[in-house]
Amino acid sequence: MVSAGSNGARVLSQAVRPDPHEDGAARPLFDSNLPGLWYQEALLAEVEQVSSTGGFYWNASTDALTCTREVYRILEMDTSATMSMQVLCAHVHQDDLPFVDNMMRRSREHGTDFEVQLRLPLSHQIIKHLQLKGRRQESSDSQLHYLGTLQDVTQRRLSEETLGNIRCELARVARISSLGTMTASIAHEVNQPLSGIMTNASICLEMLGTDAPDLDGARETVLRTIRDCERACEVIARVRALFGKHGGRTESLDLNSVTSEVIALSLCELRRRRVTLRTQLAERLPLVTGDPVQLQQVILNLLLNAAEAMSGIEDRPRNLLIRTETESVDRVRLSVVDSGIGFQPQDAMRLFEAFYTTKSGGMGIGLSVSRSIIESHRGRLWAQSNVEAGATVAFSIPARRLP
Amino acid sequence: MADTALVAIVDDDESMRESLPRLVHQLGFPVRTFTCAEDFLASDCVSRTRCLILDVAMPGMSGPDLKRELTRRGQTIPIIFITGQADEDLRRQLIADGAVDCLFKPFHAMALLKALNAAMQHSTQEIRR
Repeated sequence: MVSAGSNGARVLSQAVRPDPHEDGAARPLFDSNLPGLWYQEALLAEVEQVSSTGGFYWNASTDALTCTREVYRILEMDTSATMSMQVLCAHVHQDDLPFVDNMMRRSREHGTDFEVQLRLPLSHQIIKHLQLKGRRQESSDSQLHYLGTLQDVTQRRLSEETLGNIRCELARVARISSLGTMTASIAHEVNQPLSGIMTNASICLEMLGTDAPDLDGARETVLRTIRDCERACEVIARVRALFGKHGGRTESLDLNSVTSEVIALSLCELRRRRVTLRTQLAERLPLVTGDPVQLQQVILNLLLNAAEAMSGIEDRPRNLLIRTETESVDRVRLSVVDSGIGFQPQDAMRLFEAFYTTKSGGMGIGLSVSRSIIESHRGRLWAQSNVEAGATVAFSIPARRLP
Repeated sequence: MADTALVAIVDDDESMRESLPRLVHQLGFPVRTFTCAEDFLASDCVSRTRCLILDVAMPGMSGPDLKRELTRRGQTIPIIFITGQADEDLRRQLIADGAVDCLFKPFHAMALLKALNAAMQHSTQEIRR
C-alpha cells in the first residue's frame, strides 16, 4: 500500500489506521473487524516497531527511496520529508560516512548486496547504532532495485559494550587476585638482586675505606652492582607488563617468549609449592597476534591452577610441564600438564563456569576468564584428564597470517 | 690447609653466590660457596664448617631440609638462614628450631657480621662442650 505524502514523498504505509498511541487513548491494538489485508498491514506495522526494524525499497538508479513508517521513526524524521539514500546518508556519523558511501557506490555500480553498521548522531549527544541491509531485486527494467531493512541495534550494541567492559573488569580482578598469590614470589625475585646490590656496596665501602684503597676491586664491584640493578629492573618490568593496567593492545607475539616471561616470575612460587617445572618450547613457533598482557594472564592462571591441583600430592612427584607446539599450519598450541588431582568427567563442563572452584582460596574465575580471553583471540581452551594422573589444560590460537 | 675452619654459603641465586663470599671474606672469614644443599653434603667441607649461611628456598633440598639432615647426621653446625621472603613467622620458627639468626634479603653487612660473630661464639662453645 503506497500512499503519497503531503509533499509527494511516498510512504509505504499503514497510514490508514491511526497510530494507537498517538492520542493516548487505550484502544485495542488490532481491530479484528478490519478487512484481512489491512489487519495484516497493521500487524506488520506493530511487528516493525517491536523489532525496531523498518523496511524500504530503493531504486539505486534514481536514488528514490520508499520507506515504511518505522524507518522515519528510527531516523526521527517526519513522514512528509523527501527520502532518498542521499538524505539518509546525510545523517550518518562522519566517521562512518566514507565506509557507507563506498558500499553504496559499489552497489550502484555493480549491483552488489549491502550490509553495513552505521552510527547516527541525534540531538543531546545521543547516538543511534543502526544496521542497514539491502538485497538486489530482480527487475524487468534496466534499473537497479533493492529491498532493504534499517534496524535500530542501539540496545544490542550498548549491551555488548557493557558486557565487554564487565569482561575486561573481571579479567582485571582475576589478574589482581593472582597478583596476591604472586606477591611473595615477586618480592623474592626482587630481593635477590637487591641483596647483591647491598652486599656489593658494603664490599665497595670496605675496599675504599683502607689506607691503600683497592680501586680495581671497587670498580669491578660497582660493575656487578649495576648488573644486579639491571636484574631488579627486569623483574619490575615483568611485573608491570603482567599486572599493569594497560591491555587491549594487539600485537605480533612469540608465544614462547610470552610464556618465558610468565615462568620467570613464577619460578619462586612453583619452588615454594615444591613443583618441578619442565618446559618444551617448540623451535620456530609461528608468531601469533594478540594482547600480551591477556595471554600472560591466561598462562599464569593455567600455571597457578596446575600448581594448586598438585598441592596435596605427596605420593608422587609434583611435575608440571609447559609445552608449546605448532598444532597445524595455521594454529599454535600451548599445553600445561600436571600430575595433580585431576578432575572427574562430570566436572569437565563445569570447570569453565565462573565461580566454580574446588579450591578453598580460589574465586573460581580463573578458567572462565581464561577461556573468554582465548575466545576473544579466536582460539579455544580445553581441559582433559591425563592417562596416568592429573590433567592437561591447553589452548590453541591462530598463527599470524603472513603478509 | 684442607682442615681449615671455614664459613660455608649455600644459595642457588647467582648474585648472592658472587657477592656474599666476597663480603664474608672481607669480614675476615675463610669461605666456600655451594649452589645447592646436595653439593654441600657431598663435599669435604661439612666437618670443617664453623658456620653455615643457608638460603631457605632452593630447588631440591631446601634450607630447613638441609638443617634436618645435618641434625640426623649428628652435625651441629651453627646456621644463619637467609631468605628473600620477609616472613616473621618463618623467622621465629627457624630461630626456635635452633638457627643462630634468619636474615631477610637484602640485609646489611653489619647484620651479617653480628650474626657471624654470634655463630662463631656458638661454635666455640660447641667445641668446648
